[in-house]
Amino acid sequence: MALLKRKSKTTDQISKNTVLYAQNVRKSFGSKGNVQQVLKGIDLRVEEGEFVGIMGASGAGKTTLLNILATIDRATEGTILISGSDISKMKDAAMAAFRRNQLGFIFQDYNLLDTLTVKENILLPVSLGKMRKKLAEAEFRTIADILGIADLADKYPHEISGGQKQRTSAARALINQPSMVFADEPTGALDSKSASSLLGTMADINEKRGVTIMMVTHDPLASSYCSRVVFLKDGNIYTELYKGDKTRQAFFQEILNIQAVLGGESIDAL
Amino acid sequence: MTLFDLAFRSMRKNIKHYYLYFFALIFSVVLYFVFATLQHDPAVLAQNEQMSTAFLAAGILLIFIAGIFVVYANSIFLKRRSREIGLYQLIGLKKRVVARLLVIENFLLGITALILGIIVGMLVSRVFLLLLMKLIGYDLMIDVSFSMTAVIQTVFVFIGIFMFTTIQMISTVYRNTLLSLFNTEKTGEHPKKPKTRNAAFLAILGIALIVLGYLISDNMLNDLFLFNILAVLASIGVGTYLIFRVTIGWVFYKIRDGKAGHLGLSNSLSLAPLMHRLKGNANSLTIITILSAMTLTMLAGAYSFYYATEHETRSQMPFDFIFEKNETEATELSKEFDEKGISYTHGAIDLLVLFGRMEEGAMPVPSNELYIAIVSDKQLQQAGSDIEAPADGSAIFYSTSSISMFRDVIEMPLTLHLADDEKTTIEIAEYAEGNSINGTMLYSQLVVNESTYEQLKDQFTATGQAEMSRVDGFTITDSADLEAASEIYVQRYNTSGHIDYYSAYQRAIETNGLLIFISGFLGLVFLISTGSILYFKQMTEAEQEKKSYGTLRQLGFSVKDIMRGIIKKQVFVFGLPLVLGLVHAIFAIKVLSSFFQSDIAFAAFVAMAMYTFIYLIFAFLTVGYYRNTVKNAL
Repeated sequence: MALLKRKSKTTDQISKNTVLYAQNVRKSFGSKGNVQQVLKGIDLRVEEGEFVGIMGASGAGKTTLLNILATIDRATEGTILISGSDISKMKDAAMAAFRRNQLGFIFQDYNLLDTLTVKENILLPVSLGKMRKKLAEAEFRTIADILGIADLADKYPHEISGGQKQRTSAARALINQPSMVFADEPTGALDSKSASSLLGTMADINEKRGVTIMMVTHDPLASSYCSRVVFLKDGNIYTELYKGDKTRQAFFQEILNIQAVLGGESIDAL
Repeated sequence: MTLFDLAFRSMRKNIKHYYLYFFALIFSVVLYFVFATLQHDPAVLAQNEQMSTAFLAAGILLIFIAGIFVVYANSIFLKRRSREIGLYQLIGLKKRVVARLLVIENFLLGITALILGIIVGMLVSRVFLLLLMKLIGYDLMIDVSFSMTAVIQTVFVFIGIFMFTTIQMISTVYRNTLLSLFNTEKTGEHPKKPKTRNAAFLAILGIALIVLGYLISDNMLNDLFLFNILAVLASIGVGTYLIFRVTIGWVFYKIRDGKAGHLGLSNSLSLAPLMHRLKGNANSLTIITILSAMTLTMLAGAYSFYYATEHETRSQMPFDFIFEKNETEATELSKEFDEKGISYTHGAIDLLVLFGRMEEGAMPVPSNELYIAIVSDKQLQQAGSDIEAPADGSAIFYSTSSISMFRDVIEMPLTLHLADDEKTTIEIAEYAEGNSINGTMLYSQLVVNESTYEQLKDQFTATGQAEMSRVDGFTITDSADLEAASEIYVQRYNTSGHIDYYSAYQRAIETNGLLIFISGFLGLVFLISTGSILYFKQMTEAEQEKKSYGTLRQLGFSVKDIMRGIIKKQVFVFGLPLVLGLVHAIFAIKVLSSFFQSDIAFAAFVAMAMYTFIYLIFAFLTVGYYRNTVKNAL
């Protein structure tokens, strides 16, 4: 009974614009006697069109949180709703289908299939869906133009640069018009110029197409492109920063200040 | 930790990758040991000299197959471990030490396989000996004696093979740079756009050559028989290679081009990775196809021989015993049969022997002249035969001479001129299978009805153009008496050079039993080698693509979706060599079947079905391995 009551309460709290709602998310690893709690009860809400950055020192649980929210991993405890679907109660197969239809992913090391061309890689997520070929083609054109990779359509991953690979990866994440895009250290393997160019494009897409993005990063410069940054410390949310009307430079400075208080980042930066 | 410990640990850790190689190794040892045991077995030696020689020859072939297989498998495993080899060097182990580590591993693995293989070999060799004796028609209970010679022989052969693999390992360590060791896993090729005109030409040439080969094989029974065989082998061999090297790539490229980027998941997991490994796979797939075709032909041929033994012998020797121009002996034999209580049918058959001439071009042979014996169906029937001649003036033709190869090709009816007489002709209504009278004679036979026979006899004995001869035919009523009757005959006429049906049958079943045993054995080794090699290669590919499967899982594709694409790839990798091999073999067996009097389709089908069944086990193992890889990829 208590459970039911609690569930109805959470549903009430979700406004129309909430894309992601997480309550009391806990995750522990290890077996009996040697349990390690990585996430100690995270509450998080992401509104439509937000560009949320998640920061924290190594071991703070950023990637674990992202994996759980992105349905790649399961929480030990807690409720997670994405676009109104309760993913914490889904079966594996349903979760996979949900991931395919509702979510997009950008990985640190691109994770492109070497045997496929840029275009084939990008169109992969819609291959099992119901999207018609014409529509998929049009969507591909639009996204490839925005990301500036339209000319690379027939190239193989080994023929293009890291920045271009990551743009391809981003295009793949966007092709199925997901409710939300998850990015795990997308600039981690890029040089600073390609990184800022990619982040600029991501911010642009976020703004113009209204795509909700959640990005894990340890780089303050990268998170300065976000509209909100959530700081994790030892499995809890430490604090949050909103960009608001501030300039990117000012926001960047604020992020640095929090990071200084948080500490530990120096180790990660190495 | 000593080097020995390290070797032991790394073996234990690698057992997942090793176990199939290990089993294949043990299996090779078992088979070779069984062969060596049979070769030296007193029971086999007692049978006849020829059998021991056959085992020796097959054993040498077995050494080659086992050797090539072990060396090839070892090279695949070395490639998989090149990163590990590099890592040892990176942390500062000397090349010498790394080489020694590998050699110790190889030694441990080899010795274990050798010991296990010989133990298992001892246990199963009795089963194999019983099987052999059953196949060649002996029901004796025989004990397999333990043969030290066989053990020593096996140990020597496999130590020789292990020396090869050891050299292979040492040269991998010494001849590769660190960089190349770390990069071997990545060396996939990248498909290039084929030069359209050249590729299209070669692609079509590949198909054309195979079709040409099939066409020649269908009409190869002529003067140029040997040349035809070479032409067929060459065109099918080259055609098969071109199919795998060019045609497939070209077709794949066309399909992919047509998709314009909308490749879809299942093609992304089958077509695309196949295109990336086409060059590397072309050789092995060609060899596997050709080997499969050869093995299938060998198996189907051997099984057909065995299966058709009774029918073949009977069609050559329709009577159980005959005597030529020897009435007294015939009477004596019947007397003895009467004494022993063996019931039989005995009849005398008169032969009208003369020359006949085919019309020009009626048969594809250089000479149109035939030496012919004309017999009456009634006399044959009196001796126990059930042949019935057609209407007056026409005949059934029997001949097991070399023209019998063309039995299905020659158009019937045809006209035969008798003696030098231009006017007297007889119509051959049918070219029947086998002989009408046991084939101890040189002539073809024409069976006619009695009135035709009498008329021809009168005509030609009057002119002196024909000679008369006589044959006494015996048919034993109850086949249970055959063995006893044969014994009597052999005792009496052992030296006369004549052979009775039962002895001929026994001799044939002995030879064919040995043939099916040895070819079945070798076929199994071929099959297991090719199957394992495909499995090893796919295992390596699965490991290389594990990351892609992880990505796909993350993107939200279920294991089932991914497996659908992978199965499609396996259907190609395993299916195409099998199907091509089967079709090649079918055409080869069609040629082979013209040497048989009887229909071998059923026997060939059984052999092919069994081959396919065992082969498919490897395909299923491979799919299972992929499923595990995909499941654990996330």
